[in-house]
Amino acid sequence: MARIAGVNIPTNKRVLIALQYIHGIGQQKAAEICKKVGLADERRVNQLSDDEVLRIRETIDRDYTVEGDLRRDVAMNIKRLMDLGCYRGLRHRKGLPVRGQRTHTNARTRKGPAKPIAGKKKAA
Amino acid sequence: MARSVWKGPMVDGYLLDKADKARASTRNEVIRTWSRRSTILPQFVGLVFGVYNGHKFIPVSVTEEMVGHKFGEFSPTRVFQGHSGSGDKKASR
Repeated sequence: MARIAGVNIPTNKRVLIALQYIHGIGQQKAAEICKKVGLADERRVNQLSDDEVLRIRETIDRDYTVEGDLRRDVAMNIKRLMDLGCYRGLRHRKGLPVRGQRTHTNARTRKGPAKPIAGKKKAA
Repeated sequence: MARSVWKGPMVDGYLLDKADKARASTRNEVIRTWSRRSTILPQFVGLVFGVYNGHKFIPVSVTEEMVGHKFGEFSPTRVFQGHSGSGDKKASR
């Protein structure tokens, strides 16, 4: 069982895939890490030696922001915009789309589930 | 897509002169501007700009954090009054 970058314990998948269970590591970075550590694509996590696990861990610690640190960075960036009082900050505060999308319809990802409008009649 | 670096930041030239003048005079005057498209430069920090929103000049006191943003971002052009029947309408303007 391998424990990399805090709480992530990817099991008997290929290393390339297993690394992507870490927040902040996708296809691109997983491939980069495998290359740096010198792992073949077919290698699975349960076939890794302790030394290789250690090197993966070191590579991630050294070169990438992941998990809690990354989440904090993102939250700080959003907080900066909100404190600044700029347009993007206002949109974050109101929970509306930030990048100029329409809000007449859609925008449900940001706005959440549709709320019923009081007094609006249903068609008979 | 982001703006090319070799062009430098986009600023309407007259703002630079106005900023210099405001620095020279000791009184803190609001620099009125319609140039919402101009980037906020480091030499604007500490000055107060009145940024036009199509209705009136919104005072924006420039801080270090704002450098790199545009003036228009700090002067909202729309006033959301709430939807009809939602009850919690905000006071007008």
